[in-house]
Amino acid sequence: MAICTSAASHLIGIPLYLDPGSGSFLLQILLAALLGIAFAVKIYWKKIKALFTGKKEPAENIVAIESIKSPADASDEK
Amino acid sequence: MKSDQKLAASFRDPSGFLFRRGGKLYRQVNKIYQPNYDSLVKSGLFQKLTDAGMLIPHKEVQVEPEGPALAYCVLEPELVDFISYPYEWSFSQLKDAALLTLAIQKQALDTGLSLKDASAYNIQFQHGRPLLIDTLSFEIYKEGQPWVAYRQFCQHFLAPLALMALTDIRLSQLMRVYIDGIPLDLASKLLPGSSRLNFGLASHIHLHAQAQKRYADKGVSASQTSGRGVSKMGLLGLLDSLEGTVNGLKWLPSGTEWGDYYDSTNYSRSAFDDKSLAIKEFMARLQPKKVWDLGANTGFFSQIAAEQGALALAFDIDPAAVEKNYQDIKKRKETRNLPLLMDLTNPSPAIGWQNAERDSLSARGPADLVLALALVHHLAISNNVPLPMVAEYFSTIGRWLVVEFVPKDDTQVQRLLASREDIFDHYNADEFVQALSTYFELRETHPVKDSRRMLYLLENKTNG
Repeated sequence: MAICTSAASHLIGIPLYLDPGSGSFLLQILLAALLGIAFAVKIYWKKIKALFTGKKEPAENIVAIESIKSPADASDEK
Repeated sequence: MKSDQKLAASFRDPSGFLFRRGGKLYRQVNKIYQPNYDSLVKSGLFQKLTDAGMLIPHKEVQVEPEGPALAYCVLEPELVDFISYPYEWSFSQLKDAALLTLAIQKQALDTGLSLKDASAYNIQFQHGRPLLIDTLSFEIYKEGQPWVAYRQFCQHFLAPLALMALTDIRLSQLMRVYIDGIPLDLASKLLPGSSRLNFGLASHIHLHAQAQKRYADKGVSASQTSGRGVSKMGLLGLLDSLEGTVNGLKWLPSGTEWGDYYDSTNYSRSAFDDKSLAIKEFMARLQPKKVWDLGANTGFFSQIAAEQGALALAFDIDPAAVEKNYQDIKKRKETRNLPLLMDLTNPSPAIGWQNAERDSLSARGPADLVLALALVHHLAISNNVPLPMVAEYFSTIGRWLVVEFVPKDDTQVQRLLASREDIFDHYNADEFVQALSTYFELRETHPVKDSRRMLYLLENKTNG
């Protein structure tokens, strides 16, 4: 578990107070890879559909799209 | 006794802690958490979430920290009217708390932050809505970083919601046993096989449980993660999937139409109206700030208290009644009612480390006024609680008491006696008043019109 925590800490770059759990951690990496693609398809499809239907994009999707376009690197703020 | 007190519920996170001083509640932010706290404020996320009523507001105050060596600053958060716990919530309350957690995480990611925990205990109901109360739950997000709280979210929210919706609503009570959420292997075992056909549940619970089992006590090497973490798109996809899975879980009491759930009383409309008027008049006269309505059903009488300006807690043992009450309150945008699930014969105990992390129900009192309408016969006859013990319990939780006595010849009581021997010779109005008089002064007796029921207004002797 110590190795897991250090691997997670390495990725996160900060000490963790919650144990993310080895299995949970690996599953998340796997699921996120799949679900990320599905999500990208979903929001871009909605965007394309909006172009043709003229319907406005729901605010939360705009947030998601904008955040992907310009990933805020919060570490700059330090 | 020490005048300053560190709260027993906030010791796990080294980012800071809560403490009480001079009757006020403060949160110390530790130096170790400084960059994260500054980022929360500077990014505008704090303002955005508090404006939207999603995060508890606070002000930074110049108060001597409780642990000066570690301290960065001290906050004075807005006080939550009543602390409740996930095992006291109805299905939709837990669902709304889950959706709030995900909505906050999405907004946090948008501003370069992320939730570092997703504990259901960090959510409280205030002004009729769920609210995140832990200001120190945010950390600076770095590209590639997985969601550290993913496991906790599944244990605290997804597993209990799935069990409540698909297996049995009463399984919410497992939260009382497992303070860090329901273990996923247990949830996986208890869920019906059909839940494996639901992609969200199959992956976030069943597969998740298997992954935990496989890697229990094993580390993860960099080669297993290919040195990569989770892309932001991946994280948003994960959150979208969790949100979709939570949204897809629904619960309706089996065989019950909501319309049938209204109080099926056995007394006349005029008796009901008379009882309502009397309660209204008592509320107007006493102006209680906190009312505990015990056995509130769907909250009709709690609503009377709320309309008079009280914070009305509507406790009921029936998950369907609590659910219906919560949904009605949401629809009407009520801000002064809080329906909660409670078995009064076994009320929430103090649990957690040193039995001090989560308070018992009694420790969260006393109420200014306790309403106990059509309740005593359930305690005394269905649960064999002697009347003097009923009176004693009421005296420990309320300054004033409005209690209804339903006599033995009432059909509601007859129904309870139908299947058992009547061993309740002492169950009568006179003996009940006698029992109450040990702890209370009787201030008013109100016979309910067109019935043989009695309402009593009593003041706790310890008030004076």
